[in-house]
Amino acid sequence: MTSRTLIRTALAALLLAPAAFAQTVTVMGSTALGPLVKKAAEDYMKSHPGVQIAVSGGGSMTGLNQVVSGGCTIGISDVFATPEQEKSGIRNYNVVIEPFALIAHPGVGVASLNSQQAEDVFTGKVNNWKEVGGKDQKIVRVNRPTSSGTRAVQQMTVLHGKEFSNNQLVQDSSGAVANTVATTQGAVSFIELDFLNRSNGRFAGIAYNGASCTKADVSSGKYPLFSFGHAYTHPGKTDPKTLKVAEDFLAYMLSAQFQDTTVLKAGYMPVAYVKSLKAKL
Amino acid sequence: MPEAPDILLDTPACAPGNMPQDLLLEAPGGTPDLRHSRAQRLADRWAHLVFLACGLLVVALIGGILYFLAARGVGAFLPLAGNTDKVLTLREVFLSADWDPNAGRFGILPFIAGSLSVTGLALLIAAPTGILTGVFIAKLAPAWMKTLMRQVMDLLVGIPSVVYGIFGLMVVLPWVSGKWLSDSPAAGFAVSAAILSVMIVPTIVSLATDAFESLPLSLDEGSQALGSTRWQAIWHVLIPAARPRLLTATVLGLGRAIGEAMAIQMVIGNNPQWIALMRQSTDQTPMLRFLFTPAATLTTELVQELPNTAAGSTWNNVLFAMGLLLYLMTMLIILATRRLGQRRNA
Repeated sequence: MTSRTLIRTALAALLLAPAAFAQTVTVMGSTALGPLVKKAAEDYMKSHPGVQIAVSGGGSMTGLNQVVSGGCTIGISDVFATPEQEKSGIRNYNVVIEPFALIAHPGVGVASLNSQQAEDVFTGKVNNWKEVGGKDQKIVRVNRPTSSGTRAVQQMTVLHGKEFSNNQLVQDSSGAVANTVATTQGAVSFIELDFLNRSNGRFAGIAYNGASCTKADVSSGKYPLFSFGHAYTHPGKTDPKTLKVAEDFLAYMLSAQFQDTTVLKAGYMPVAYVKSLKAKL
Repeated sequence: MPEAPDILLDTPACAPGNMPQDLLLEAPGGTPDLRHSRAQRLADRWAHLVFLACGLLVVALIGGILYFLAARGVGAFLPLAGNTDKVLTLREVFLSADWDPNAGRFGILPFIAGSLSVTGLALLIAAPTGILTGVFIAKLAPAWMKTLMRQVMDLLVGIPSVVYGIFGLMVVLPWVSGKWLSDSPAAGFAVSAAILSVMIVPTIVSLATDAFESLPLSLDEGSQALGSTRWQAIWHVLIPAARPRLLTATVLGLGRAIGEAMAIQMVIGNNPQWIALMRQSTDQTPMLRFLFTPAATLTTELVQELPNTAAGSTWNNVLFAMGLLLYLMTMLIILATRRLGQRRNA
């Protein structure tokens, strides 16, 4: 992992060498957030000549590790930093809402679950779809790997902190989860809203608590299945000039102009939707 | 003895025995100066250095990777610099089947057992198939088919493993799920081993074919002259005669199988708690449960978890220890093949 990061850094340095006189902000981390931040960077650089924003992937944990060690200006992540990482003095910006949805193989005969049912399905208390009003069909849980940040969020919101059943399949990307649910009888899982919208009926969404993933239900707190896309900066380890540019860039990402257009188009939601929900955020 | 023609005596270049010195150092007058020019010798020396550097680079890379894995992997057991978390005992890691990283339990036995099971099953399918295909290509197939089969085998080696994985995930798994003896999903050792065996069969086939082709023809002819049928000759004479090389072929297949990650992680189900799950379940007979329980191997667990764990944490270190274990296992396999090869030559 380190060597990959090194190579990447070296490549980035090579690419950026000609622009040495420009203000350069490096962004690293979540591959899910990457495209959105890249789009923001393009827009921002257009209106701010002389600023270079380089976005690369590596995963949420890489982004957090790098921003803590000063390896990049902004670390983007789908999960909160760990307590140890927090201690280093990094600063968190919640930049978007990442909503996700419950999905199942089409034909399990269940169109909605209340929060207790959903919890039981994933903890393994319920093992057949007929127990929650569906067909006589074994429930097949498809989860993310234990270390996945997405999984941690799901455990918190859907399982209310309880443990996932060990009777499960594990796939490590949204694409693999989508494929597995689409091809496995009785499968159930979570996926980013965007994937569900583009599923073409290969798998079906399941309503949660009678609420759907809309602006109204998300902002009223009726639909709690979302996490934040985070951007972390490290004021203690960043050159003040660069930090100022980075902060200005993040302010642009949080502006209504960006949030109400590009963010929505990318399948995310503006953070303003949950401004009123003070609890647990 | 007739007198040798003059030219033989006069031209040192043709006198056997002292040719090199004469040629290079003191070619007498009249003969062409065959010494390399200064520039050529310089180029030679440089080329020598370049080759040496390339060779050393490879050795350094292998050593470097070993060092990198060991430095991080050993951190799981010793309080090294860079550790941000607690250390474990060897026993807790290598002799425990309890894997629950969030609760601080890091028994990697399920992954070792998973790797061995899936590799063993794959060999069980691939070794007989490969060896018999080898017999067919070397001894039975008509010439045109021989060429065709060889080309097909080369093609199979060239297909990227992720393609096998996609095929398994999109075609084989849905097809097997819920049919015959398997539940839905059918993810587990059976499908993984089947996919894996397709991946290692070409290796075994090409080595087995070479083994049979290198046998002296007299063995085959002799046994048939003594009245054996085709089958008897193959079974009682050819296969025993080629056995050491067939063993080498199988072990090389094993080496390829144990390191495979991408294809397997797409179809095996990646469940680290598979041993516990298998014990709890009463759905089917134990053998079927073993074949169709979602499981995990050393390689699949590395692929799934390594990108998400923080550097220096116990979890991360244990994953590196697993990588180190895989490295050492592969080394052992390679050494074993060399041993087998030496015995063959003796």
